[in-house]
Amino acid sequence: MSLVAIARKDFQETVRSRGMIALVVLFSLLVAAFAFAVRPTAESEQFATEVLLSVFIGPFLVTTLVPLVGVVVGYNAVSGERESGSLKLLLSLPHSRADVVFGKVVGRGAALALAVFAGFLLPALVLIAAPVVFNGGAFLGYTVFAAALGVVFVSIAVGFSAASSTQRRALIGGVAIYVLFVLLWGAVTGRLVGAAGPLVDALPVSATQLRVFLRVSNPTTAVEALSNAFLGEQLFSGETANRQLSAAAMLVFWTLAPPLAGLLKFDADDL
Amino acid sequence: MTAIELRGVTKEFGDVTAVRDLDLTVEDGEVYGFLGPNGAGKSTTIDMLLDLVRPTAGTVRVLGADVATDGVDVRRRTGVLPDGFSVYDRLSGRKHVEFAVESKEAADDPDALLARVGLADAADRAAGEYSKGMRQRLALAMALVDDPDLLVLDEPSSGLDPAGAKEMREIVRAEAERGATVFFSSHILEQVDAVCDRVGILRDGELVAEDSVEGLREAVGGEETLDVAAAGADDEAMAAVRALDGVSGVTRDGDELVVNCDSDAKTEVIAALEDAGVAVADFHTREASLEDLFLAYTEGDAATRDAGAAASAPTEGEPTDDATDDDSASEEVDR
Repeated sequence: MSLVAIARKDFQETVRSRGMIALVVLFSLLVAAFAFAVRPTAESEQFATEVLLSVFIGPFLVTTLVPLVGVVVGYNAVSGERESGSLKLLLSLPHSRADVVFGKVVGRGAALALAVFAGFLLPALVLIAAPVVFNGGAFLGYTVFAAALGVVFVSIAVGFSAASSTQRRALIGGVAIYVLFVLLWGAVTGRLVGAAGPLVDALPVSATQLRVFLRVSNPTTAVEALSNAFLGEQLFSGETANRQLSAAAMLVFWTLAPPLAGLLKFDADDL
Repeated sequence: MTAIELRGVTKEFGDVTAVRDLDLTVEDGEVYGFLGPNGAGKSTTIDMLLDLVRPTAGTVRVLGADVATDGVDVRRRTGVLPDGFSVYDRLSGRKHVEFAVESKEAADDPDALLARVGLADAADRAAGEYSKGMRQRLALAMALVDDPDLLVLDEPSSGLDPAGAKEMREIVRAEAERGATVFFSSHILEQVDAVCDRVGILRDGELVAEDSVEGLREAVGGEETLDVAAAGADDEAMAAVRALDGVSGVTRDGDELVVNCDSDAKTEVIAALEDAGVAVADFHTREASLEDLFLAYTEGDAATRDAGAAASAPTEGEPTDDATDDDSASEEVDR
């Protein structure tokens, strides 16, 4: 009950945030522009919604911009209130600190999901107008995956925010989360596996298996794997079924573990 | 029942000891003023009542429960006006109160609460546009949700103009009449005097005095100032007064004599003047001002004089002293 109250309060606050509205408008315009620019000409009639999403919009816009919006929405969730003093108002009411952290994940996650749906509205109109075979089901389904990706990043950022005693640290953390998961994951994990070569040999898994595991451990690639399977009508089936399962498991992990870890630190702090 | 009970509470922040071995008891239904200069440890103590800050040593019990384990239940029955808080800039005043109502699972009407604190007209405006005083009123409205058993108000008058401070006192009084316990901190004494049953003075993290305001006045002020309207007093009469035991000074101020004396020497002063053939038209005593009183405890030696007593028997002086205090307080006689 208490968690719901906080979630509702944070949702109302987040959807009124100018920063988030600006990012969503930008996202929406970019996706719409992309859809318009790569729209099929008369010669390639078979060009379809699925291709547009998985080849163009997915890798270039969704996996880069949606995590950014997620981090922006989440990074100041707890540390911002802590620094401004509104956390005092919040914790004067009968809320536990766990209610605060998870209420914020739920409220801001919901706000972000709403924003993603809103952001995909304009592109949908462009696609309906364009001479493309518009597959509404695929488009809507893909939007769900994009929203899920955003929620995972909100969760990671809120967890980091709960553990940070100042806004500055939370901001640094947010930037680090984005850079690591969106820009450098392959390079960093590749290095790690390379450096830990002898250690990996001792493990009962091959270096390739480890690489695959690390790939799906990243929420952006996990969502990409799942959404591409969905667009190829092979969700949780076909030869990549196992990989999809571990991708889904990793998404659950990234949604729950960071807020829990952040809560451990937050719960022990003097505020 | 005991509303607030601190036992041996110490809080250290690194090398700094903010609160030192504090024992404090506030009884049910009492209005308790928690005084002290800035930095004395008042806010730290209040933060410990709310479980925002955890004590290094000692136990904190509020409304009969340990705040370390039952903090949420305690806050369900407590209304808090925190110090140094900020509002949610993008949410309206009404949304704030609605949030408090929902959080407490209460049934209050947000508009009625906003009207009670004088914010009815601003209910739909974003709280980010509110002035400091309006924010203070908004937080008070949130604190009053669900008729709490205990009200904790940290510097409630800060940011309020005199009229606002008066309304705040009236609300405190009304809540106390309803039966709520009120615990509030302040560094402004006039407000404490008007509403408190009992005050505690904190200095450097220790309780240096605890009593009714009048009791404290007694303890500090052996000396009072007596203004006597006696137009006919000559040097001889003044000398007669000056010669009395317990009189430390006599000066003439127009038609008035200003006599500094022990509080029990007043009658003798009047008698001496009348013996000298001076007609005393009127006299009244001026008490040591609250400001003097406060400074005596927080800077002077009254603090050290009283510290032992306050620490060893923290609940003393509440019921018994009141009767005698009232007699000696603010005497004004027309003759």
